[in-house]
Amino acid sequence: MIFGLHPVSFWIVVSIAAVLAITPLIFLALGKAGKLSPALRSDVWTRYRSWLVLAPLMVIPLVAGRLPAILGVAVLGALCYREFARATGLFRERLVSALVALGGVLLTFAIADNWLGLFHALTSLIVCGVVIFALFADQPKGYIQRVALGVLAFMFFGVSLGHFSFLANDRLGAPLMLSTLVCIELNDIFAYCTGKAFGRRKLSPNTSPNKTLGGALGAAVLTTALFATLGHFIFRGTALDTSLHLIPLGLLISLTGQWGDLVMSSIKRDLGLKDMGATIPGHGGLLDRFDSLIFVGPAVFHYLAYFGGLSLDLPARVFTGR
Amino acid sequence: MDDWKYQPARDQGLDAHASFRSLRREAGLFASVTQAAWRVAVRAYLRGYHRLAVEGLEHIPARPPFVMIANHASHLDVLTLGAALPWRLRQHAFPIAAGDVFFETPAVSAFSAMMLNALPMWRKKCGSHAMQELRDRLIGDPAIYLLFPEGKRSRDGSMSPFKPGLGMMIAGAPVPVVPCFIDGAFAAFRPETKFPQPKPISLRIGPPITFADVPNERAGWQEIAVRLEAAVVALRDARG
Repeated sequence: MIFGLHPVSFWIVVSIAAVLAITPLIFLALGKAGKLSPALRSDVWTRYRSWLVLAPLMVIPLVAGRLPAILGVAVLGALCYREFARATGLFRERLVSALVALGGVLLTFAIADNWLGLFHALTSLIVCGVVIFALFADQPKGYIQRVALGVLAFMFFGVSLGHFSFLANDRLGAPLMLSTLVCIELNDIFAYCTGKAFGRRKLSPNTSPNKTLGGALGAAVLTTALFATLGHFIFRGTALDTSLHLIPLGLLISLTGQWGDLVMSSIKRDLGLKDMGATIPGHGGLLDRFDSLIFVGPAVFHYLAYFGGLSLDLPARVFTGR
Repeated sequence: MDDWKYQPARDQGLDAHASFRSLRREAGLFASVTQAAWRVAVRAYLRGYHRLAVEGLEHIPARPPFVMIANHASHLDVLTLGAALPWRLRQHAFPIAAGDVFFETPAVSAFSAMMLNALPMWRKKCGSHAMQELRDRLIGDPAIYLLFPEGKRSRDGSMSPFKPGLGMMIAGAPVPVVPCFIDGAFAAFRPETKFPQPKPISLRIGPPITFADVPNERAGWQEIAVRLEAAVVALRDARG
């Protein structure tokens, strides 16, 4: 422990702080050298200022403890759900929309209570509830669409993000969540950089025309390597601390991250929108920033649970008792 | 299967402050909850503190679109009009509020949007485009507008002549206008005082008037203003 933090958490926090401190100096140097056009300069500074707010909001709850981490992810889920509901028009279906929101609150309670049974039960119960609640408008026209949007939203922002949140109940929750988040964010940057260098073939020209196969492979290699390295320090001394376990997990994080990105691109293209919102200056909506986090939760959670890497033996049902 | 009918929120892509000030704003789940809580509190306050009495509830149309208008002598007026609406209609009600008072700063705009569900009318620069947007929303949503055709709050309790702007929203359209007279709000909350006094307020609601056959042009708008002013004056003079 360093200052009460797991060494991996500590060094990630220090690295993020260092990057945020050095970045303006790089921008200033590039500006002095005349490498930044006025439009680009204003764009990078807007993005930097957003990161200056966003990074502490992401990191502090994760290192502050179990409950702050769970609440932090719940708030992120609620804000992402709001953007999704407004972009798709689901928000006009008040009853379905309210049930999805209630489902999110109940899932958060189940996670905070470390009650895996309730968490899994809610997945099917809320889906059934959406199917039933969508009847009450007594308007068969558009029924399938109401239900589909409600279920999709609950699966994305309730269940999938909830799995990520459930990691907070693990003994190694903080370093694990922080590492996953850092890998997911760097995954995008790795894909961009390696895509610029080696990308020729388009990955999915109709969904996201700027992505290349080279970028996707480059990101997969670099993110896997990064996570396997961090994972070695997180799981040191446990059965998971072998490259046979850590490399597939890193690859899983990179792939699910990239797929999450493509899923949100598909949704945006289908809706004819450029951004899902205008919450973060320079980035668009929160969903545009956190799209890649959506599917990572279930993948990491169930991978670790299968290979015995989750300490689910910690006190369960903290509030409700056994 | 039905064609995909869902559309993004009409204020999609606007940041929070721009969305609060937008005529296209649509309330989501959170705003619906804050607005409902506000309405419950306001109704209890008007009933308890001002002993609000309402006459002529039967004149309120069963469904939107329609416009409720009244004399304007106090900040309590818009709350009074809103409180008279039956519960099922209230989520459709939009007070039309002065942009330079209710939508100038981010904090006040947030209150006006999240609590009052108000839409801004920019008095100095309200072009025909904004009026058309209000008209389209009134009929298309369909919505209920609460507005004060005098265009400003009376400083001495007397009524000013009605302005013709309202006509641009309803002339030639089958949208009923419900004339109302609010009595006692001026004495309860005078412009020079900071807090309302516990004095009674009464609201008299008249039969709705439709201007479907009035041409949507300057002369028509003027005619609508004159007829509505006469209707509100008649309600004022009818008090027993």
